[in-house]
Amino acid sequence: MLITQIKPEEEILPKISLKRLFIIECPGCEEVYFPAEDVERFINRLKEEIIGRVSLDYLCNREFVKEYLRYYSKKIEEAEAVLVFSCGVGVQIVSSLLEDKPVYTACDTLYLKGFQGLRVQDFDCDQCGECYLNYTGGICPLTNCPKGLLNGACGGAKDGKCEVDPEADCAWILIYERLKKSGKLGILKKVLSPRNYQKIITESLSREEVKR
Amino acid sequence: MSFAEKLKNGNFLITSEVGPPKGVNIDKHLEEAETLKGKVDGFNVTDLQSSVMRLGSLVVCHLLAERGLEPIFQITCRDRNRLALQSDLLSAYILGIKNVLILTGDHPVLGDHPEAKPVFDLDSVSLLKVASTLAEGKDMKGNELDGKPEFCLGAVVNPGADPLQPQLIKMEKKIEVGAKFFQTQAVYDLGEFEEFMNKAEKFKVPILGGIVLLKSAGMAKYMNDKVAGVSVPERYIKMMREAKKGERAKVSIQIASELIKGMKNLCQGVHIMPLGWERYVPEVLKASELIKKEH
Amino acid sequence: MGEVNLVDYTKFRLKPAEEIREVFKGVGKIFILYCRKCYKKFEEDRVEEFDELLDILGEDSQKIVGSLGVDFLCNDFLSKKKISSLDLSICDSVGVISCGLGVQFVAQTLEGELVYTLADSLPQSGNSTSEVGYHGISLEKEKCCGCSQCYLNLTGGICPLINCPKGLLNGPCGGAKNGKCEVNPDLDCAWEKIYERVKKQGRKLILESPQIRDYSKPPLKLQKDLSLQNQTFRDESFYGGFHPLEKKEETEEKRVESFPEPKIVTIFLSQHTGKKAKPLVKPGDKIRVGQKIGEADGFISSPVHSSISGKVISLKEEIHPLSLKKDLAVTVENDGENKFDSSIKPGKDFENLPKDGLLKMIREKGIVGLGGAMFPTYVKLSPPKPIDTLIINGCECEPYLNSDNRMMIEHPKEIFTGISIVEKILGVKKIFIGVEDNKLEALTILKSSPHKSSSVEVASLKTKYPQGAEKMLIKRITGREVPEKGLPLDVGVIVLNVATVFAIYEAIMKGIPLIQRVVTVSGDGAIKPGNYLMKMGTPFKEIVEYSFGNKGEELFKEYELKMGGPLMGTSQLSLNSGIIKGTTGLTLLRKFPVEASEERECIRCGRCVEVCPMELYPLYYAFYGKRGEWEKGIEYQVENCIECGCCEFICSSKISLLGFIKKEKEYAHNSNKA
Repeated sequence: MLITQIKPEEEILPKISLKRLFIIECPGCEEVYFPAEDVERFINRLKEEIIGRVSLDYLCNREFVKEYLRYYSKKIEEAEAVLVFSCGVGVQIVSSLLEDKPVYTACDTLYLKGFQGLRVQDFDCDQCGECYLNYTGGICPLTNCPKGLLNGACGGAKDGKCEVDPEADCAWILIYERLKKSGKLGILKKVLSPRNYQKIITESLSREEVKR
Repeated sequence: MSFAEKLKNGNFLITSEVGPPKGVNIDKHLEEAETLKGKVDGFNVTDLQSSVMRLGSLVVCHLLAERGLEPIFQITCRDRNRLALQSDLLSAYILGIKNVLILTGDHPVLGDHPEAKPVFDLDSVSLLKVASTLAEGKDMKGNELDGKPEFCLGAVVNPGADPLQPQLIKMEKKIEVGAKFFQTQAVYDLGEFEEFMNKAEKFKVPILGGIVLLKSAGMAKYMNDKVAGVSVPERYIKMMREAKKGERAKVSIQIASELIKGMKNLCQGVHIMPLGWERYVPEVLKASELIKKEH
Repeated sequence: MGEVNLVDYTKFRLKPAEEIREVFKGVGKIFILYCRKCYKKFEEDRVEEFDELLDILGEDSQKIVGSLGVDFLCNDFLSKKKISSLDLSICDSVGVISCGLGVQFVAQTLEGELVYTLADSLPQSGNSTSEVGYHGISLEKEKCCGCSQCYLNLTGGICPLINCPKGLLNGPCGGAKNGKCEVNPDLDCAWEKIYERVKKQGRKLILESPQIRDYSKPPLKLQKDLSLQNQTFRDESFYGGFHPLEKKEETEEKRVESFPEPKIVTIFLSQHTGKKAKPLVKPGDKIRVGQKIGEADGFISSPVHSSISGKVISLKEEIHPLSLKKDLAVTVENDGENKFDSSIKPGKDFENLPKDGLLKMIREKGIVGLGGAMFPTYVKLSPPKPIDTLIINGCECEPYLNSDNRMMIEHPKEIFTGISIVEKILGVKKIFIGVEDNKLEALTILKSSPHKSSSVEVASLKTKYPQGAEKMLIKRITGREVPEKGLPLDVGVIVLNVATVFAIYEAIMKGIPLIQRVVTVSGDGAIKPGNYLMKMGTPFKEIVEYSFGNKGEELFKEYELKMGGPLMGTSQLSLNSGIIKGTTGLTLLRKFPVEASEERECIRCGRCVEVCPMELYPLYYAFYGKRGEWEKGIEYQVENCIECGCCEFICSSKISLLGFIKKEKEYAHNSNKA
């Protein structure tokens, strides 16, 4: 689940103007966030170039997108380019199914804490593959500290607030407080070894692909 | 006597700082440093201080060493991954630079290239450990090195941090992995510093109290607002505010020397961060009665 | 359906055995919470990791004093309830098997307890320069790292950040051999793929200016604002639900018009909850408007009246528009004379009528709940428990529908009088009219109406589906929670729809039985959309001809016709049925290229759980339904389901959950009886 924002007009207009455009919007995560008004404004600027516009949910599902594209194949054939309003996954699926057609995205994608799971949260998981939470009182230093420090505060916190984001609490002070509460401050004395970045490549590639 | 030997002897140590320029004109910095020859025991050379792109720390250390000055190579984890960090430590040794001060480093969003990718592949504790490992003739993966480097490793601590205990725990960790001396964040409150020293004493590692020369009342207030662990007492702010423009340096020197005199009985040295006022360092030392005899 | 490769996006796996044993050394008695995982094919209802843990521990597993599997542990709202109901005093620590989100959530919830993680998250990006990767709400290979500066326009729709292990933005590194990546020879070189793709599109590989990634994006502030906005948006008013496209514009401003006189009407004898009415007429009988043609049969039942004058032409079974089963109906041919039955006389001043008299009138005039459920109103108004609050439901949260909205705009006086009648019957002190804040005109009119008595408060509610569901409405307005399997009256509340209150007014003040109602006709391809006053039994055929053009049964090829709105409405199978008391609207929806099906597989994305306002776990209805294990529905509280349709609407695999739910509910109902 990802969040999309409209790209700056000056970045996208030169690529798509004066083309016969077929527009696909994905409101699949609408209840999460879809910049509906911005999309409308953007599309209005392109009015004359548009030869078709559809709103199709779950562009991230290849099976659905295949059906959609078959259903709208005539119109898409007439189009010179397809403009997609969706997260990066949706755009990649559409363009992989329309290899011969220039497929453009009008959106930038970002991610909000917690979407890895189900709901937007105040905490996040960095998919490090070597969970450090046992040493940090259940507060993740990778996602809560902008420097991702593993061995204690950088010393830059002022009044318990992070120097990078003064609105955020210093993760390491939170960790300290949490461990103090449970009488486990001793844990902090352990020197944690640096992250193993190899895991990111090897372990994400070893994910099982299930046939259906 | 080298910095490392003086550390071992338990001398009261004085270090100053060289901030490399943004650009390539380094002569002025070197000249200023040379005026302190024999007066201080080492020069920290900062590593892209405040995440601002500048001339590199290693090359300036080398230039200082060439002039017979003792550099302390500051190295941060902000810009290099573990390969580059280890390699730069070896390079430093080859250039005769053995004193290394290891820090985590500021975050790039606070500097002049906020779009930069923050690296922080290692942190200060793990880099200290890696440096110690190198000195044992192995890289961090345990591969043998061809020849062993030697280092005198230092680290930083913020005595004014609130809460302080996590800082102390981290300090202990740093010692465990090889830190042989500490330099502190700027100290303005001797009472607070004494409390810190009482707690840190048990570690039996030399601590050099940090001195930042105040340039104005505004700077003091800014530091109170923004800089972690720094609290300039109202008395000093008042002194700076009431000083006439031409008198400010004099007042600043007076404050610094007052602090240094106070520190003499508390810690094992001072680290002066002049932030552009390098030229006043000799006067600070004189006023603090710290002018050393030529060795 | 061809063969598709699905990726198992399970977020975690157990930590290495040594690490787990190390943790257990320091543990006395431990409680284990394990997440039932997400984003994997939902093939079996079991978590291997817990069994594996027991294997690893051997004797140490005796330290485990309890365990609980939780679906979607990171769903803070639901999981918090579960965790806080546990008795953790028996243990000294809690072990969690989940991704980092679940562990952090548990640690936060149980601050002070020792919380250990027994699992490691599984990395996803495959690119250590963009460390984190995210998939869509499906199990495809394509991923996105949320860089907030999408490069896909330059790269033919292939993401270089995800697909190139170096995340190069300006072309290949030159290390590829035979098109394979040098970092991982199982991978195709992303930049060679990009080159091929772009060439195919007849474009040149765009090497505009060199691209340099901006790592300060997205700004922290933006991310925080969006998070906060999302959190408040999601949880406003009540947990679950969602904000559908309202689609109300088409008929919002259309005044209620009388629908053209129907040629015939088909009036079902079952237009209420409970036993169907006993017919009082036979074919050939001449009947008049408002004449009773069916008598209530028992306490929970209701009489039925004719909406036109004419001749009864048949008394036989037709397809009921709600149950979609054959049901007895009276078909009357309109003589066009509109002769009223003698029973229709304007009522006396209701103030002087006794409570019992009013209730009897309401029963006699066949008043039932017009919001769709059609529960006999006189039964509702004779509560066996004390009632202190009356809520008038003017939410109309279904998309497309405007019938209640128009009633509030056009008939505030009648509605307020109707409320006064109910107030007299119930003797309640507090009365609210709940209206969603997208109905500004109605809100303004109700608030400023001179007929509004001081005991009535007009409550403007956030627009969110299903705000109009009784339990959501009660919670939002009174803060009271209707217990599981309970009724509003269990918390001292009665909820009536605005249209029901209007019908009460008509019955008491004018003596008119419930023979007509306002119906919104709207949807894709509507020629004459609008809000129409329709006679009960008006055949769908006549409405379709009038409002959607003469399409006849052909209509079903391209469209779906729903009685009600798109979410809670019932999909019609034939045009022979007619308007019943619970018909709030007729909505025509163009069929979508991909329709919901009972066949498709669940991937445990958890979104149905997130939108279920009744806090249920709808994925299990499909999982067990598909296996024919209908009894499992009871275990997952299917009887609490209000069939709001949120889960089916949101289902990322487009599984028709409601189909399963209805069958499981029926099973539960039957087993309750037995």
